Amino acid sequence: MEENYKLAKWLSGEMSQEELKAFQSEPDFAIYEKIKNHSAQLEVPTLEEQAMLSKIVNTPKKEVKTVSLTKSWLFKVAAILVIGLGLFYTYTTFQTSTELAGDGTQKAFLLPDNSEVVLNSGSEIEYKKMNWDNNRTLELHGEAYFKVAKGKKFEVNTPLGKVTVLGTQFNVKQRGGRFEVTCYEGRVKVNYSNTEQIITKGMGVAFENGKPLETPQILAQSPEWLTNEMVFNKADLTSILGEFERHFNVTLEADKVIGNGQLFTGTIPGENIDVALQVLSTSYHLKPVKVNKNKIILTMINDQK
Amino acid sequence: MSKEELLGICRESIFSGFFKSHAKGLRNYLYYKFGNENQAEDITQEAFIKLWQNCADVPIEKAKSYIYTIANNASLNVIAHQKVVLNYAKSAAKKESTNESPEFLLEEDEFKTKLLSAIQNLNETQRVAFLMHRIDGKKYAEIAAELEISVKAVEKRIHLALVELRKEFDHFK
Repeated sequence: MEENYKLAKWLSGEMSQEELKAFQSEPDFAIYEKIKNHSAQLEVPTLEEQAMLSKIVNTPKKEVKTVSLTKSWLFKVAAILVIGLGLFYTYTTFQTSTELAGDGTQKAFLLPDNSEVVLNSGSEIEYKKMNWDNNRTLELHGEAYFKVAKGKKFEVNTPLGKVTVLGTQFNVKQRGGRFEVTCYEGRVKVNYSNTEQIITKGMGVAFENGKPLETPQILAQSPEWLTNEMVFNKADLTSILGEFERHFNVTLEADKVIGNGQLFTGTIPGENIDVALQVLSTSYHLKPVKVNKNKIILTMINDQK
Repeated sequence: MSKEELLGICRESIFSGFFKSHAKGLRNYLYYKFGNENQAEDITQEAFIKLWQNCADVPIEKAKSYIYTIANNASLNVIAHQKVVLNYAKSAAKKESTNESPEFLLEEDEFKTKLLSAIQNLNETQRVAFLMHRIDGKKYAEIAAELEISVKAVEKRIHLALVELRKEFDHFK
């Protein structure tokens, strides 16, 4: 291959003496020599170097600003904000969320999976937002109606018992020693002390102080309290008064003797406290005396026999 | 690498030194490539402006290949391809013309004209390599580095350029 580029070697003066001699004897040598000599005299237009250089040097340099993170207070503020937001977000996700409906109010809200919950007066629900879809468990104190979105196991824990469901509508009531579960759609599993019971649409279970109570067939589509009615099933006066207190946000006082352990089954309208008290008074032969706006004393009507 | 070294080319004195030793070579290279003086100068200026603006990112030992790369990329967009117009140095021509016969001078002029057109007709790569050697007096190794090819490839181009040029002078003996 080297042989092929001998002209290049010759042009750059790298040819050895012998090679050069051989080449010089070739007839073409004179022409190559002429080409070499004449091409060495070639010139190109001159370049105005100085003018170009000053043009180049005068072009603005791209601004390379190095803003020190530690020096700029703006970055400090931004960093604090970012960290703060992050902490806040983490806190809200890990923290237990609490929904509370005070006396005299009801509260409807959605769980992270869009399950609907309506809290009756004086009730409270605690749950964890984090990983809700895989761990649908909440703690209930009081009464609430659930319309559960389809998904994994949904658990309602109360101090008295546990309710487990798979996408249904049901009501859970835990008041004092009384525990009631009513199912409006689907199937609900109720754990109470050592018993386990599965109820379906239109069925309910109720326990009072550990003893099961009979429950009538439920015809309603949703709990009556949602439409402002108070339904009692074999309830004693204490629990009725408790319900009144929560529903109307009042204080009721009555003699303990009152009621004689008589159980009440029926519906009492919840729009108006006076109407409701009248219904109750008639049933139990009581006389309500309003002490002030929020306090009512119930006294026994003396035997008129 | 120290910061001082990195900033080297950013210093105006160092930059202008670098410019003076390479601007002409680059301009000529571009001129041999596509024969347009204005375009060659524009691209040369553009390449050095880029180097000046990015001086902080280009270490001085990379600066040369940096400007050649920029120039090559820029010249990809150049459409106009013109004949390379070259001149013979006047001083050299005068020297030669002193004690030669008019006949000889005429022949020489003819040869020179022919050589110019022969160079114009060379293909781009051969012309570029040949002229970088003949006009800029660069060594094959330098040419190889600037064109980013091997020294062998430069030798091949030079050799073939000479062979091509020789063909134009078949009737000269």
